[in-house]
Amino acid sequence: MDNTLSFTKPLLETPFHKRTFEACYNNDWYRWAGYKIAREYSNTELEYTSMRNTAGVLDITPMHKYDIKGKDAIKFVDKLVTRDVTQIKPNQVMYIIWCNEDGNVIDDGTVFCFNTNHLRIFCAERNLNWFCDTAIGFDAEVNDVSDSIAALAFQGPLSCKILHLLNVKNIEHLKPFFFDSFDLNGSNVTISRTGFSGDLGYEIWCNPQDALNVWDSLFKFNRDYKVLPAGMNALEMVRIEAGFIQPNADFMSAEQALRPNRMRTPFELGMGWLVDLNKNYFTGKKSLINLKNKSLTKKLVGLDIQGDKPAIGSVLYDKNKKEIGIVTAGMWSPSLKSNIAFGYVDKDHMKIGSKVFAEIYHPEELEYKKIWAECLVVKKQFFNPPRRHKVPADI
Amino acid sequence: MKKFDVIIIGGGHNGLVAACVLSKNGNKVLVIEKNEKLGGLANYSEYLSNISQEVLKELNITVEKNTSDNFVSALSEDLNHTVLQINGSKNVQFLQTSASDSDQKSFINLINKYDLFARTLRSFMFKKPPRVKSGSRSDIWQLFTMGFKVRLLGKKNMRELLRVIGLNIADDLEDNIESDCLKGLISNEAVIGTNLGARSPGSILNLLYNQATNNSFFRINKFNTNSFLKSIEDICKKNNVEIQTNKKVEKINISNQSVNSVLLNTGEQIETSAIISNSDPKTTYLELVGASNLDTDFIRRTNNYRSRGTVAKVNIEFKNDIKIKNLESKYLSGKFVYAPNIKYIEHAFNANKYNKLTSNPCLEFYINKNKISANVYFIPYLKKSSHDKEQILKNIKLILDKFIEENQILSSLIETPNDIESKYNINGGHWSHGDLEIDQLLMMRPFYGSSQYSTPINGLYLCSAGTHPGGGITGINGVNAAKQLLKDKGNG
Repeated sequence: MDNTLSFTKPLLETPFHKRTFEACYNNDWYRWAGYKIAREYSNTELEYTSMRNTAGVLDITPMHKYDIKGKDAIKFVDKLVTRDVTQIKPNQVMYIIWCNEDGNVIDDGTVFCFNTNHLRIFCAERNLNWFCDTAIGFDAEVNDVSDSIAALAFQGPLSCKILHLLNVKNIEHLKPFFFDSFDLNGSNVTISRTGFSGDLGYEIWCNPQDALNVWDSLFKFNRDYKVLPAGMNALEMVRIEAGFIQPNADFMSAEQALRPNRMRTPFELGMGWLVDLNKNYFTGKKSLINLKNKSLTKKLVGLDIQGDKPAIGSVLYDKNKKEIGIVTAGMWSPSLKSNIAFGYVDKDHMKIGSKVFAEIYHPEELEYKKIWAECLVVKKQFFNPPRRHKVPADI
Repeated sequence: MKKFDVIIIGGGHNGLVAACVLSKNGNKVLVIEKNEKLGGLANYSEYLSNISQEVLKELNITVEKNTSDNFVSALSEDLNHTVLQINGSKNVQFLQTSASDSDQKSFINLINKYDLFARTLRSFMFKKPPRVKSGSRSDIWQLFTMGFKVRLLGKKNMRELLRVIGLNIADDLEDNIESDCLKGLISNEAVIGTNLGARSPGSILNLLYNQATNNSFFRINKFNTNSFLKSIEDICKKNNVEIQTNKKVEKINISNQSVNSVLLNTGEQIETSAIISNSDPKTTYLELVGASNLDTDFIRRTNNYRSRGTVAKVNIEFKNDIKIKNLESKYLSGKFVYAPNIKYIEHAFNANKYNKLTSNPCLEFYINKNKISANVYFIPYLKKSSHDKEQILKNIKLILDKFIEENQILSSLIETPNDIESKYNINGGHWSHGDLEIDQLLMMRPFYGSSQYSTPINGLYLCSAGTHPGGGITGINGVNAAKQLLKDKGNG
């Protein structure tokens, strides 16, 4: 892989580019951390359907990967994040968020524990600066290993079956939020049972040299099981159904927001369950203890919206037409057959079952149709099938 | 295990002053000092230019004053030295100079202008700096008076203050004075002890700030250091303050974000509910408190706090009594400055910027018979290496040879910022525990989140020169920190 930037080639290509380029009929690319990633290969709905019914393959190589090595590796992560990670076991994965001193969320990600002296954090935004500053005073070295690992997300109800057919030993016994090394068609890979789809699924981490072999293997049984490469648009659909929020889309990262009132605390994002105020000191603990005792003024909630027109970018109102918030992400969910969204609401409407109204502007052949839709406040996690947590997984 | 109400880390003058104030209020105080001798950096000078009146009043002490005439001589290579006599902050007289009459007049005018501005700054110099968004009534009142004092200067002067406050000293000098020697003399006051050259923005602010803390333009000798240290030590003794020397605090133990005890290098553990650290902010936070007890943003600010020392203290002993060429011997009791022109200072500063040793440093020194005690700058603090002291001495000798009549060096002692760092445990070996620049002053000193002498850790306070109003050996930092602690205790 030639990873040099030039004037004519301003975006990097991932180790899978040879294949993604062939598959991307639309030639529709998205810029993610300097890499070219397909936004849509041929048809977003089709790609979405493959992830919900068979399996979809997503190139997630641009994810930022930070190696943390040293005697204090666990202590360092414990100081960084709001959860207690001191009890993390080798081969375990934990979902984590980290805050700044005011208790505002900077980013979320996952931490993989190889052993007590070696952890790896995966996240969507750049965080090297923050991690290095957090590491001051700890015997822990932070290294950006983003470019040395190629990664695929393999998500869908048949993902385990296909890996099993590929002779990946004991893959069905891998528990959710655990990882291990496996042999995949002759390539040594790390597979974790994690993902952004809210369904059964795996993430496969490999050497860039093995990338094409891994990619090709996943499509080996396509005569029977139509596995499709999926683009970012399809990922956006599944992550909303799964209730996963994204920095700089559903909330502003505290390291990037310019206006102080645009930052969000874990409580406002409905992530209070990730905050452990009884653990050792971590960045933001002092502020979060104060915030915990204060009532929220706004909160990110799930919305079940009347009708079938997605409420993207809508403003939310109460029954007196007073503005109370905004929708951050919305879609028509083909699996759930409902119109769902995430949105911020004020303190009078954050209870499950509250009613708010969305003003939806729906374009219809060069004219906007203005829809006044009633919305029910619900849990953010819309889609959560039992097969997601089942051990052994369905083969 | 022993228990004290307050433990003071470091027996510098500020720590001792704080101990006096606290013990006077009935607290059981322990002072822990790393060295044998108390006083810290104050020991470097025989005389002090300003102990704050508030401190003298608070402690009810009188300090022996220096009675000799205050001469300042600017040495010039053509041996046409300029000698000034300083009486008070404004009264400056030319005793000998090669500068023209009009230059002398503009020089006096300029000094009067700076004096006026410094007086305005002085009015809020020794108070607890207000916080901008705290909402507390006293803070708002103080901010209001600060603004009001500036407005009281009148339209013309207020405009002039606001014009020059961010400016570099060279620009203002070149607008007003022609003599290189006089320009160098004023620039010396603006840049010594800082990481600023004569053309660096903020050097005028630094000049005004120093002038305000010292209450004099040329940092003249007013108080006897030993007398000051002795009288505060006496108060400590009288009030049963326990002082343990030759012991170093290794760690402040913290539980639940409150101080708990200190751990000494002897292995002793001493319990307490409050600590005042006379150590510099970086050492206090990064070494004593430890990063694991502080937010990352705070550690970031601590790490970015600029505290790189630039002045070396040099003592040289000659064989015979020292005589300066072409200068009457009665002026030998005064201060000597060698900073011949702005370009010279800039070149010396340039080397410092890149961590290099300049071969043409600036000097400021006093002569005592056959001994010279000098401040030499710019000698940068080096992180990973140390300076060649032979070379420093050689450079100084080359400069001194131009002015001193034939003499022979018997011995010399050079303490670079690196030496000051290890001797007094000051990160960077900086005179004022950190640059006095606009983003590190007042409510921003040492940095956001640690102003008003308090810290994010309950029961831990700062009283070093790294707090407002900075260095200059005024003792006010100690008084203010102790008062803040007493106030918090009263409320708690």
